Amino acid sequence: MIIALGNDHIVTDTKIKISEMLKAMGHKVIDVGTYDHTRTHYPIYGLRVANLVRDGKADYGVVLCGTGVGISTAADKNQGVRAALVADTTVAKYAKEHLNANVISFGGAVVGEHLAEEIVKTFLAAKYLGEDDDLVKKIDAVESKDNPEQHDNPHFYDHEMKLWDEGFYHD
Amino acid sequence: MKIALASDKAGFELKNYIKNYLENEGKGYEVIDLSEKPAADFVDSSLAVTHAVLDGKTDRGIMFDEYGTGSAMASNKIHGMVTANVTEENTAHMTTQHNGAKAIAIGAGIVGNKRAESIVDEYLGVEYAGGRHQIRLDMLEKLY
Repeated sequence: MIIALGNDHIVTDTKIKISEMLKAMGHKVIDVGTYDHTRTHYPIYGLRVANLVRDGKADYGVVLCGTGVGISTAADKNQGVRAALVADTTVAKYAKEHLNANVISFGGAVVGEHLAEEIVKTFLAAKYLGEDDDLVKKIDAVESKDNPEQHDNPHFYDHEMKLWDEGFYHD
Repeated sequence: MKIALASDKAGFELKNYIKNYLENEGKGYEVIDLSEKPAADFVDSSLAVTHAVLDGKTDRGIMFDEYGTGSAMASNKIHGMVTANVTEENTAHMTTQHNGAKAIAIGAGIVGNKRAESIVDEYLGVEYAGGRHQIRLDMLEKLY
């Protein structure tokens, strides 16, 4: 399978472990970054993974930030993407079997390396059971109107990044 | 602070347990129960909380279902919503501070009563930190 992988700077090391595991399992990995520990912003990477899944360029997505909340929320806000934030394999399995989730997310600073690997393996091995088509359609129908700007647009966040570089956002 | 709660059938008992906890411990919260009866499914209950928050009828929300992840998945589809599926205390307060989470989801089949009490306390007991985190929320706000 082709797996799109995205993360923020807090959990790059965990991302690399997951990437290595996936490659060892024979999957093709599209690592959209971030690639180091320089401070960056999780929506950038959640959106990149969502675009690949949405367009069928990846079969599934794996996204992680510190808690998983921010990057999974970003990925979920895209048409055709159902992102599941989990902290164990029970919920990972449920998310695929019943919600037909196509992006799995966890807190890279919350779950340990072994559980993180187990979550991803469980999610990929599980199959949608086909019993919940109405529920899945209902979730998809919640999607707000499409914003064509956010689809496959590398300049989507240029304005925010300019403000960031100018020091507009500071603690 | 106003706290809206809603639940499907699977989360209903835990919702009522937390409702009682928030109302009877002298915490000073005003609880808005959007599920006096269980919603038909978690999509309906999660959207009830979502609209209450986004319409300014409540300050924060808590969604209950069996696994948690479905409520978060459905509600985050709404523009402007940030819902965190939470199973432990650390994420509960981090998501307020860093994501300004407008609601949390709790899976009643995954999280027990006592853990749920701690999660709710951690979630409600802190404020959004702003600062550098705001660029990420501005970025989320651009997604539909």
